[in-house]
Amino acid sequence: MSSEGSDGEESDSGIPQAGGIILRMLLGTQLRRLREAAGVTPERAGYEIRASRSKISRMETGHVGFKARDITDLLILYGATDEQLRARLLAMAQQASRPDWWSQYGDILPGWFENYLGLESVSSTIRTFEMQFVHGLFQTQDYARAVTRLGHRSAPPSEIERRVWLRMKRQELLTRAAPPRIWSVMDEAVLRRPFGSPAVLRAQLHRLIEATALPHVTLQVVPFTSGGHAGASGSFTVLRFDEPDLPDVVYIEQLTGAVYLDQRLDVEHYLEVADQLGGEALTPIASRHFIEQVAKET
Amino acid sequence: MTSDEIPATGGAGPPEFDTSVAHQARMYDYLLGGKDNYAVDRAQAEIGLKIYPEFAFTARANRAFLGRAVRFLAGQAGLRQFLDIGTGIPTAGNTHQVAQAIAPESRVVYVDYDPVVLAHARALLTSTDAGATAYIDADLRDTGTILEQAGRLLDFTQPVAVTLVAILHAIPDADDPHAIVARVMDAVPSGSYLALSHLGRELLPPETLRQAEDLVRRSAVQQQFAYRSRDEVARFFTGLDLVEPGLVPVEDWRPEPGTADTGKSTLWCAVGRK
Repeated sequence: MSSEGSDGEESDSGIPQAGGIILRMLLGTQLRRLREAAGVTPERAGYEIRASRSKISRMETGHVGFKARDITDLLILYGATDEQLRARLLAMAQQASRPDWWSQYGDILPGWFENYLGLESVSSTIRTFEMQFVHGLFQTQDYARAVTRLGHRSAPPSEIERRVWLRMKRQELLTRAAPPRIWSVMDEAVLRRPFGSPAVLRAQLHRLIEATALPHVTLQVVPFTSGGHAGASGSFTVLRFDEPDLPDVVYIEQLTGAVYLDQRLDVEHYLEVADQLGGEALTPIASRHFIEQVAKET
Repeated sequence: MTSDEIPATGGAGPPEFDTSVAHQARMYDYLLGGKDNYAVDRAQAEIGLKIYPEFAFTARANRAFLGRAVRFLAGQAGLRQFLDIGTGIPTAGNTHQVAQAIAPESRVVYVDYDPVVLAHARALLTSTDAGATAYIDADLRDTGTILEQAGRLLDFTQPVAVTLVAILHAIPDADDPHAIVARVMDAVPSGSYLALSHLGRELLPPETLRQAEDLVRRSAVQQQFAYRSRDEVARFFTGLDLVEPGLVPVEDWRPEPGTADTGKSTLWCAVGRK
């Protein structure tokens, strides 16, 4: 079963079929919260499961897998006796051991981006602000190829093609059953900068116009004429999950890695910017007209 | 999709985009289990819950009342035009979704003045192809702006369902909420409906009411909460005929069988026909 969950199937535990990394991260986050709430040190927790302090740290950041027995022992130590919680966490641990569909691309996928794919595939809402590029979920093959070449100048054509293929495969998220809601706000610059060629950009703009017809997709443009918009922050993505106690995760990509924020106060800064951008951007209908106009001029 | 924003022409000083002060819409979102709220909203809501834990049920029961009322208005009453003032942050079962599930051609105008609601409502409250939605960024007190702009999407010679769900208690007596409602209902023809819910004085124990009112006076919330009596709430329906079961707590308005979420809310509600 791939994390793409093309049938949108849910497991018995009510957890969407999901990638291992995301589930480990979510599981680890839950365990860390429970440990901190119980006032237990990592050393003490490590001792309980016959492991080191650093093993606990690696578990809580999703870097290693979990044994069912370890989870059970830790929950007892943390005083978390709720049977439903225990069953959910154990189900997550079991699913986390299944391979992700993108694991076959391990040679070209940096770990930080694998994490993102995992999170993206189980999100219920994806909010993005884009300053430079069309969001990966909406890129055409040609546009993706042009952008990929920029980032991997010395890569052989075969590797470029695999990267483009991976991006196209990722877009299956848009057409699966029960897709996430995607709310993407972009700066006008995204519509103007001709990656590849004007023809590539024009086709890309038409892809965006098509995407506006999807009921679960909202695209908004912040035009140059909208002065002083809040996007001084740069591009970012906020991922939201259906689980009530899972926090939103902010994802910020950098040249050689990525930052993940899930502390509520950090996340709220980005939500605030996203809300301001949503208010400053053109409405979805006006945005579609705007993209149509830019396509004519391109 | 035929949804768009009607450009605002100013209002009576909407709240600033300010996440250091609690907002009613975001506190409501928190009580409904949403994630579009900020630390200050959660803190304020939690203080309220300490005084009266039933506020959480009240929020859910209010949302459920909105759904049942719109189903009645679009279904049995056969209305196809809705003016939803005090939209709040979109969540499951927004007015146009409920109405368009019954009649896809339904036209819905949303009105709110909260900047967070603005961002979400503009992006997410989008219509079926058959119907239409629009969003007006205006203060309820500014009825002139609301009616003028709503008139671009709604035909005021045909019946309109006006919903004022959990918003009028944010209007102090000094701003004469009864006159505001009268101005809106004067603009719509007979056969139109008014559906509203409102914090009720009689629905809390007296000591709890005193604490709740004291809390509102002391705390930094953008909006106030005026608890009004059953008679004061009934007065909003002057000249209208209340449909069954009349003016009752929100959970008692045409409850649907099999509702597992039970409790005692602090909101009066009614639906009346002009």
